[in-house]
Amino acid sequence: MADILDILDIEQPGTTEVTRDSILHGDKMKKKYVTAKAVRRPEGMHREVFALLYNDNKDLPPLLPTDTGKAYKQTKAKLGMRKARKWVWAPFTNPARKDNAVFYHWKRKSDETKEYPFAQFNKQVSIPSYSESEYNQYLKSEDWSQAETDHLMDLCQRFDLRFIVIHDRWDRAAFRDRSVEDLKERYYNICGILSKVKTNPWSNTVTMVNGEKRVYHYDAEHERKRKEQLRRLFDRTQEQIDEEQMLLAELKKIEARKRERERKTQDLQKLISRADSGNGLPTCQSAVQTEGISTPSAVSSSIARRHDRKLHKKKLASQQRPIRAVETVTVEWSGIKFPETRGAGVWLRSQRMKLPPGVGQRKTKAIEQELRLMNIDIAPTPSEAICKHFNELRSDLALALDLKNALTSCEFELQALRHQYEALNPGKTLTIPPSICNTSGDGDVKPLSEIIDVVGSPGALNNTI
Amino acid sequence: MSGPNGMLYGGDEIGALVFDPGHHSLRVGYAQEDTPKADIPAVIGVGPSTHIPDAEEKVPDGNITQSGNELRHYIDVTEIHVPRPGMEIQTYMKDGQVDNWDLFEKMLDYCYAKVIRSPSEHHPALFTEAVWTTRPAREKLAELLFEKYQAPAFFLVKNAVLAAFANGKSTALVVDAGASQTSAVPVIDGYAIVSAAVRSPLGGDHLAAQAKNMLNNMHIQMLPLYSIQSKEVIRERERARYTLKTLPAGLTQSWQQYMLKKQYEDFYHCVAQVSESSYDERTAASVPGVHYEFPGGYHQDFGPERFKLTECLFEQNLGAPHLVCSAAAACDADARPALWGAVVACGGLANLAGWLERVGRELAARAPSSHRLKTHAAPSPPERRFAAWLGGSILASIGSFQQMWISSQEYDEGGKGQLERKCP
Repeated sequence: MADILDILDIEQPGTTEVTRDSILHGDKMKKKYVTAKAVRRPEGMHREVFALLYNDNKDLPPLLPTDTGKAYKQTKAKLGMRKARKWVWAPFTNPARKDNAVFYHWKRKSDETKEYPFAQFNKQVSIPSYSESEYNQYLKSEDWSQAETDHLMDLCQRFDLRFIVIHDRWDRAAFRDRSVEDLKERYYNICGILSKVKTNPWSNTVTMVNGEKRVYHYDAEHERKRKEQLRRLFDRTQEQIDEEQMLLAELKKIEARKRERERKTQDLQKLISRADSGNGLPTCQSAVQTEGISTPSAVSSSIARRHDRKLHKKKLASQQRPIRAVETVTVEWSGIKFPETRGAGVWLRSQRMKLPPGVGQRKTKAIEQELRLMNIDIAPTPSEAICKHFNELRSDLALALDLKNALTSCEFELQALRHQYEALNPGKTLTIPPSICNTSGDGDVKPLSEIIDVVGSPGALNNTI
Repeated sequence: MSGPNGMLYGGDEIGALVFDPGHHSLRVGYAQEDTPKADIPAVIGVGPSTHIPDAEEKVPDGNITQSGNELRHYIDVTEIHVPRPGMEIQTYMKDGQVDNWDLFEKMLDYCYAKVIRSPSEHHPALFTEAVWTTRPAREKLAELLFEKYQAPAFFLVKNAVLAAFANGKSTALVVDAGASQTSAVPVIDGYAIVSAAVRSPLGGDHLAAQAKNMLNNMHIQMLPLYSIQSKEVIRERERARYTLKTLPAGLTQSWQQYMLKKQYEDFYHCVAQVSESSYDERTAASVPGVHYEFPGGYHQDFGPERFKLTECLFEQNLGAPHLVCSAAAACDADARPALWGAVVACGGLANLAGWLERVGRELAARAPSSHRLKTHAAPSPPERRFAAWLGGSILASIGSFQQMWISSQEYDEGGKGQLERKCP
């Protein structure tokens, strides 16, 4: 409370502060507070500085630094609380040893009676054992003699079932060489048989599941195959690895190409079906649409090829003319597809007249311009009929604009090719037949089909697909 | 040994000794220490006892053991390096194992009397051995230790296993580049795979011979250090001016050869460097040379020669990288990834400048790409040289190892036949 008042620079009222001390011993504290009032904080002095100068018992700060603590007076360091315990060089026996050999080591005198602590690490794998009669009764094998089996079990015990080491230390002078898998197969086979006929199971191969003995079954054939595969994998030469990498990369490429082709065919199919369903426009529009949508695709290049052919036929271009020059003639998607009524619920009919978001700013402007030229309101009253007709009109307008653009670019292309031709064959002039010459300057409009024929006849296109 | 919460930590030291006999030197010391107490050259000077040491080469009598047929055996650098007429230099090692047991006994006598200075019956002894040590040699050693030296316990471990332990691995592919040979031994779970171990005779001795060849071709005379009385300071590549010492007559050929070999060893340790990839004149020439002064006083810079010298260690089918590859290929396919992931380099020659990098590079080029290759080596040169000894020092001071020793009781009962069983 006082802090806030201080911060706000409001004079403190005469009320007492409620502190822990004032609650504990009330009036004593009160008295102090009254005397505290005697030393007033000078005007303009920060509270913190004041608090540093005058603490509770109102002593003035000392003039000289004083050091009354006991910190440096401690004469004796107290390190341990207990007496040092004695170490002795004493004999010990290791319970992990069977021979009671006595070695000497340092140990605490207090630990003298304790057992050797490292003996607890003496862990051994339990290997099944069998008597001679048991061997003859159950374990006889055509492939393995008893001596060989004994040798295997002995090695298993010595090397704690490290079969790779067992294989390494296999007595090749006495017995024939066997693979790691052979050794494992024999060992686990023996374990399996013995666990069935004997009562006490071995922990490492037999597990009890629901009171039922489960014996670890070793699938040697599978292991052999696995090992062989692993060996082949590791023994590949660098060339083989490189070849494999190369093949994998090729496969990836081929798959990517295949996907791409499928995608294009699908697109094409979609367009064809759209064209076939007939949306009031002549079929040739689909050709324009096709080219427009899949601009860099195989379709456009096939069209371009057809272009080529046509131009060749008409001797409009020289042989060296780069194909790319033609491919630049691209016609953008034409017509506007107005979206169907979306979703349930109430909606304004004027929504149907809204241009879909796919239509660009420039196109919108151009359409509006055209509408203005035709003296048609940009936003007519959206009755059912008006809506339909208005949308159709705008779609047609968009198509017309696109076609106009296409025509212009084709015209430009034609002129460019003519100049190219003349440049390559100096002295000759190329006369462009009037049938393909644009006569926009004259203002007379050709039939739609003739304009669109620039990009190839729809019939031919359909055939190729 | 055991902490307040009943946990066990640290080892248990029982005063065991670790012996690591090698072709170049014998390392001996107490288990649990980080360096051997002594690194004694693996040769013994055998000379006639008639020679009375004169004033300047006076030695305490204990260093010279006297045998029945009036021969004296001179052991350790301070004894061997003294020119004595008629003193032949002999080695007790052959092909990585002890061959001359009489001489080796002399060496052990010396170790107990002069290095350890404690009776042999107080200390269990752990010996290292090469992977291909034959059974008679192993049994002979056990016999010697128990019957002559009355050791309370004895154990034999393969040096590759110990080198792996010294590098903190129980599964590793150990490349040991020693004095007489280079070997690659796979170690799996602390057991050396004997059938997959490979070795080649390219070692420090071969390099010394190559150095000798090279200097001969360069017409540089290597004089043994002991023959120089004084020499003058001369400019680089100037003819050496020195005065020869008057030496006692009858210095043996073997001793002179040994002393010269020491010089060549010093030369290659100072000068030789392994190039990063196979030798290329131009890259080698771009590296600044190393200056070396010969005992006679002649001195010069060595440039590309020092790279060319070491190329003999990386011959196509004998070099360390090839050994590693063939050792790994000889192992079970299941173990190979672990082995490639822990290639441990040790041995004196692994200290050669650039050796480790070259091996690492060549292995990276040869290793199957499906394995992760990792090459380990101790950072400091002594740790690489003494890797097997260090591993022995670690092993013999582990508490749970103390049950593995062959005690004298066991030896008395079972004889030396159990060595094969107890020390795999």
